[in-house]
Amino acid sequence: MTSNSSRIIGAVEIGTGKIAVLVGEISRGRSLNIIGVGVAPSRGVMKGEVVDYRAACEATHHALEMAEKRAGARIEEVWLAQSGGHLDGFYNEASVNVKSADNTVTALDIESVCGLAKAKELPPGRTRIHEIRRPFRLDARAVLDPEHLSGRRLEVGYWIVHGHEGKVSDNIHVVGGYHLEVRELVLSSLANGSLLTTSEERQHGVLVINLGKGVTDYVLYSEGHVLVTGTLPVGGDHLTNDLSIGLRVNHAQAEMLKLRHARGNIQTRDRGEKVWLNGDASFGDRQFSKNAIETIAAARTQELLDILRRKLGPAFAPQHCGAGVILTGGMSKLPGIEEVAAAIFGVNARRGESPSWVKDELKDPMFSTVLGIFQFGLRGAHEHAVPPRRKAGLLSSITKIFATS
Amino acid sequence: MSATEQLSPPAAGRSWRNIRQEVTPLAMSRKGRFRRRLEWFKGATAIALLAATVWGAYVLVHSWATDRAALAAAVHSKPVREIVVITDGVLTQKWAHEILALPKGTSLMALDLGAMKKRLLGSGQVRVAVLARSFPDTLVVTLQERTPVARLQAGEADGSVRQLLVARDGVVYDGVNYDKRMLASLPWLDGVRLVGKDGKYEPIAGMADVSALLAMAQLEAPQLYRDWLIVSLARLEGRDEIVVKAQDISEIVFSRKRDYRKQLAQLDYVVDSVRVLPDPAVISVNLSLDGQVPVRMHNTPDELAKLPPANFSIQPSQRKRNRDF
Repeated sequence: MTSNSSRIIGAVEIGTGKIAVLVGEISRGRSLNIIGVGVAPSRGVMKGEVVDYRAACEATHHALEMAEKRAGARIEEVWLAQSGGHLDGFYNEASVNVKSADNTVTALDIESVCGLAKAKELPPGRTRIHEIRRPFRLDARAVLDPEHLSGRRLEVGYWIVHGHEGKVSDNIHVVGGYHLEVRELVLSSLANGSLLTTSEERQHGVLVINLGKGVTDYVLYSEGHVLVTGTLPVGGDHLTNDLSIGLRVNHAQAEMLKLRHARGNIQTRDRGEKVWLNGDASFGDRQFSKNAIETIAAARTQELLDILRRKLGPAFAPQHCGAGVILTGGMSKLPGIEEVAAAIFGVNARRGESPSWVKDELKDPMFSTVLGIFQFGLRGAHEHAVPPRRKAGLLSSITKIFATS
Repeated sequence: MSATEQLSPPAAGRSWRNIRQEVTPLAMSRKGRFRRRLEWFKGATAIALLAATVWGAYVLVHSWATDRAALAAAVHSKPVREIVVITDGVLTQKWAHEILALPKGTSLMALDLGAMKKRLLGSGQVRVAVLARSFPDTLVVTLQERTPVARLQAGEADGSVRQLLVARDGVVYDGVNYDKRMLASLPWLDGVRLVGKDGKYEPIAGMADVSALLAMAQLEAPQLYRDWLIVSLARLEGRDEIVVKAQDISEIVFSRKRDYRKQLAQLDYVVDSVRVLPDPAVISVNLSLDGQVPVRMHNTPDELAKLPPANFSIQPSQRKRNRDF
């Protein structure tokens, strides 16, 4: 039974490998209670994009139904994770001269500069997903809130994430086929970043990499704000493909070998060390060189992270990434992948761990995106509910102190 | 600035929020279609429940207002023993009894106050009527009555003449229990056309202006008002004029567009001025013109020239100390 002030929200991730749904009851817009889980193998989705509407609908609706049954409640709205190789982002900044005679920045100046920074046109067929603001700069000094401060020139920049309109709407329509409305669309990388990093880590600089089955999402934080987000159309499936081709086994066998014996780095030096395909001495069971498996997996892992490092380019500087690299997603379970990431990025690397408030059964990396959606969506909902430049009263200030402590 | 404030929803236009989310039923899964039908059913049920509630409330209110027997039984009221009349006029308890004509033994709760109020107002003399049940057995009737300002003679179908009274708001009524001397002091109304409707007469138009003149005359110049016999409204509609016939003057023309107080002062002056003349000397006084007051007299100019001049000042205050014009 839910009270009038609570909403039943479904966080949905339509991934290449699996569909994950969490049902959460959000009371008074701030407290979350996870009441249902639904997971189904994904179908009709490749590299995070829907390629078979019917199959994707069946899988997603099955997961939604399962989650609703376990929750014992009907989902009222959906917060949906968005991923895929079609996603892109760019940085756009703008500046204005402060208009008032005494050089005091007004709300109008802020509105004006923000509007200009967001005004850049997108190419045809593209749609905006997020507009993420970086800190204001007033006369070249970074300020948190420039209103009422004195200065001559106000600058601001936005990281604008956009995607292919058709592919985004495909994702939304899969949920719409269950007669549900998508109220929030959250970038998978931002969802993971919200969940797996603390504000201190974001302040020191941290790179969060979500190694999925079809795509790899990443978000780079610096000085507490989002610097870059992105998606690579490469994931764990490519590693499976490489094993399938290199070892001449089918896809399912390659996936099994990957899960059992693959590593991010090469540990087995003895080329004669063999592993069984099935390990049950059944008819047709074969042996493979463990070194060969590790070599193929390590090469692909190294290549993937290399591509990511190159794509980040000058945006990533080890000295500005004090909190290191956090790996999540199914492929992050590969043993030794942290060492490879540490070597490539030149900073510490570790697997992401869900916060302590997450129940043990949800600590698997497969839930990090949907959990992150809640964390991210709650922040967004709170932001939308409060007028953007409203002055905080004494009561709200006290509430905030307790909320952050 | 916290991380929450760094994110803003994409601007309208090329935003994902502008993507149409509804899908056709064909593109929905079986479960989706079921959910949609369930939602419609819920909506329809909610509307039906709301409609039923409204209908139930209406029926309840209606029965409360109409089913007097049930209400009487519900509150255990007694038969009406007394009718108390509170009025600002001359109507009496007896009159109320006659008008209401309550059957003997009628329960207080079974009274139809709306119909009774209608009967009271139907008399014309009653302007406002408030009826209240005072349990267990008393009906309290509070009345505000009309005050007559003029009389009227109406010819009946059988050739007889009937005296009617006219109130300030133009309502024509019979009038009950008034003092005969008071009625005799009221001027007669002339030049009006009575229109009958449902056994009553339509209110007379323009009576507000006439009432204002009569009230002011009665208050400010009672010595003039006493002599007024007939007030004619024949020229009110076309020329905004009220014509008064007094005992000594055949025609006094007032204009409803001019200040009555000033017109009465002028009349008073004229009356005082001609007092020295043989009676009745004045035929008509026209007060409707601004700046001059034409007076028609019986006397010829030669006769008037022979008369002694008026021996009073033209200053009203010096002329009549006890009157204030």
